[in-house]
Amino acid sequence: MTTPVEAARRAERARRWRRPTLWLRLGLLAALVLVPVVPSFQLLDLALKIAVFAALVASYDILIGYTGIVSFGHAMFFGFGAYGVALAVTRGGGPTWSDLGLGLAAAVGASALVSVTIGAFSLRVKAIFFAMITLAFAEFALILAVQLGPLTGGEDGLSPRFPGLLADRRGAYYVILAVVVILFGAMSRFVGSPLGRVLQAIRDNELRAEALGYRTFVYQSVASCFASVVATVLGACYAVWVGYVNPESTLGIHIMLDILLMVIIGGIGTLWGGIIGAAFLLTAQAFLPNLRGLGAALLPGSALALRLTERWPLYFGILFILVVFFFPKGVVGSVRETLSRRR
Amino acid sequence: MRRAAPGALVVGLALLPLAAIEPRVYLTLTIAGLAMGMLIFLVAAGLTLIFGLMDVLNFAHGALFSWGAYAGFTVLVLLNQELGWAEAPSVGLNALLLLAAVAAAAAVGLVLGVVVERVIVRPVYGRHMFQILITLGATIVLEELIRIGWGPNDQVMPVPFTFQGSWDLADVIVLRFPVVAIVLGLAVYAAIALVLRRTRVGLIVRAGVENGEMIQVLGHDIHRYFTGVFAAGSALAGVGGLMWAMFSQSVRPGMGGEQLIFAFIVVIIGGLGSVSGSLLGSLIVGLSYNYVAFLLPKAAIGVTMALMVVILLLRPAGLFGSGK
Amino acid sequence: MAETLLELEDVHAYIGQHHILQGVTLAVRRDAVTVLLGRNGAGKTTTMRTIVGLLHPAHGSIRLEGHPIHGLRPYEIVRRGVGFVPEGQGIFATLTVDENLRVARLGDDAEARARLARVFELFPDLARFRDARAGALSGGQKQMLSIARALVNPNRLLLVDEPSKGLAPIVVEHLVEALRAMKAHATILLVEQNFAMAQALADEFYLIDDGRTVHHGPMAALVADDALKKRYLGV
Repeated sequence: MTTPVEAARRAERARRWRRPTLWLRLGLLAALVLVPVVPSFQLLDLALKIAVFAALVASYDILIGYTGIVSFGHAMFFGFGAYGVALAVTRGGGPTWSDLGLGLAAAVGASALVSVTIGAFSLRVKAIFFAMITLAFAEFALILAVQLGPLTGGEDGLSPRFPGLLADRRGAYYVILAVVVILFGAMSRFVGSPLGRVLQAIRDNELRAEALGYRTFVYQSVASCFASVVATVLGACYAVWVGYVNPESTLGIHIMLDILLMVIIGGIGTLWGGIIGAAFLLTAQAFLPNLRGLGAALLPGSALALRLTERWPLYFGILFILVVFFFPKGVVGSVRETLSRRR
Repeated sequence: MRRAAPGALVVGLALLPLAAIEPRVYLTLTIAGLAMGMLIFLVAAGLTLIFGLMDVLNFAHGALFSWGAYAGFTVLVLLNQELGWAEAPSVGLNALLLLAAVAAAAAVGLVLGVVVERVIVRPVYGRHMFQILITLGATIVLEELIRIGWGPNDQVMPVPFTFQGSWDLADVIVLRFPVVAIVLGLAVYAAIALVLRRTRVGLIVRAGVENGEMIQVLGHDIHRYFTGVFAAGSALAGVGGLMWAMFSQSVRPGMGGEQLIFAFIVVIIGGLGSVSGSLLGSLIVGLSYNYVAFLLPKAAIGVTMALMVVILLLRPAGLFGSGK
Repeated sequence: MAETLLELEDVHAYIGQHHILQGVTLAVRRDAVTVLLGRNGAGKTTTMRTIVGLLHPAHGSIRLEGHPIHGLRPYEIVRRGVGFVPEGQGIFATLTVDENLRVARLGDDAEARARLARVFELFPDLARFRDARAGALSGGQKQMLSIARALVNPNRLLLVDEPSKGLAPIVVEHLVEALRAMKAHATILLVEQNFAMAQALADEFYLIDDGRTVHHGPMAALVADDALKKRYLGV
């Protein structure tokens, strides 16, 4: 005797192979796998960064889109992962797998602990306060990294080297890609699980969820912990790829800003929107500096033109504002809405 | 009792380091701490009122701080280049110059504030997430415009002659500029308190901070007050920026962002919507930072964070917060 | 019709996705007390909030003395002579009693001062605690303050939402007396769960159920109609 819920779920699963989104994702994966064939390091670098940040944005989306927690500390956990492996590998003698593993485990443990501790605050203070507190903590982490010079290399940071397969560009690429795919799978399962549904209920109406008997704080802590741990692992991947870890590039506020912009472009609450957000932003960041050359070519000799095109972050900021105004649901969100309306 | 406790806290905090620091150094540090606190207060006061009344998280406040600094910087440099007012050893001219710079900073802050409120903030009333994003976007744009207009590098900020250096009072070195900052901060606090408690506008703002909906159904156009408060807060941020630039003797395009985090911590400690809370919070932050920086330089920011955490654990809405 | 001060016609209103008001039609007669009755969640408070402009009707019209006021901002509606006494009083706890009254006063001429004097006569407690923080007042005194605020302006229509809520019976008695005294000067639209109070004050009633007006008529008729009372009010 199957219950209606089970029957519905089974039907949903059967339909899965016919849904276009699944094929889109497989296609994207195939494309990413084939990228190393193209002999361009710039492309390889871009592709990998898109993959890592897409997953990072998705983890943030779990926090903000699915659980409804506004936090500015997410980049901090990313930094934890990066610093964790970098420290373990540089300070632990030689680049070995066990060092790497230890560093990663320590970072994950720290992230889990910190996220639950910060989460405890959310019980006592209002949402807006909580957002500001996470920002304060993130800044604190940054300053700590700068000030603990002897340990962390201060402002100059660390240049770790990694063992075995990871030392080779192609090897690192595939290992990280595999990790990203696994993480996406985990996040997707998390969101679709009964736990994920409870979280969405909490996001939509916390009081009601509590009235229904769910200890919202526990669920929110679990979600927060999960999201932070994913971010930490991704931070480690980033450190492995870039081979250089310093406060500004891994803990700085602009990573948080980038995440925010990517999640807005992709769409809050869509999980996979992170892919589009990351692709768009990182590609733009890679090619916009060339605008300077374009400006110089079109209007040679004009200092103002040079200055205007040199500061491409300006257009960034304007784009940011326009996207928030006109596409509050992001690309994926708007597409989903249009499609559901047509049905 | 409830209102006396935080004041006692500040006094206690201020006296504590006497145990570890020699009195003369202590006095210098205290003045520096009070000055730093006052400068943060200028930024935090506007921020807390904007949040209290409008429920808007204004991340663009830092950019207004920077613009105020650069506006004042331009005035100072121009008047100094043309007329030598900064270098002249005349108290009158120096004071006039300072006044001109402050006026410029306030005016620029005010105008930009009105523009930001109308164009950027108004369309997203009530939606916190979008306010945060959009004011961040505005910050990026505003800071980039500074880089385009004045160049991306740090520049030296001229300080009028009279306010440079220090006085030597019975072997105690008292830096001049911090004293100016303290006096200005107190004057601003007194002015705000006067407006809030003695004028009709202040009454409406106080009521609106407590219950925005009710003030509307009592016949007041709250949007006009929104713009007014936002503009006033922005003007204050601009002046704060100018003063900070003179305090640290440099201007940097990113200076606003760096100070904004202090302002946020102060607003959290003081309670959203409370100007007195911001004053107290600023003094706590300014004093503790300076004392600790002297004793254990690396621990300064850590102690500030720890203070914030402790205060929040005891008073989750901040020292004078109304639980908003 | 100079007889009708306030008119709602087929008003629909949403809170978020929820269709709260699904067709409210009512007419408030000048110089009478009209009461909105109904179960919890029927939409009475939402109706009041829509009249005063805190919610915009998605459909339908609201007219004050023949002029449409739907879609106007609250301050514009209130300045046309509407006093709002919300559920839960809505007083400013951090302001003094005097400041609460001052912030409500929209004029400062001799008439306004005379009105203020009359308010203090009506509510002597408020005069006594004039400089006290409003938050320190008792429940009954806060309700008096909330009503007093609506009386400091020359308001022709008073919207009073559940004034007796949470108050002790003896306080409610005093409240009824105060409202009866006000009857002479203003038109009152009242929302009240306390049937005895409604009976003591109202001339006409409107029954709201599921966001719709389902019945209306003179109060005396409702008092006599047990079946109707049982069906919609459970009394």
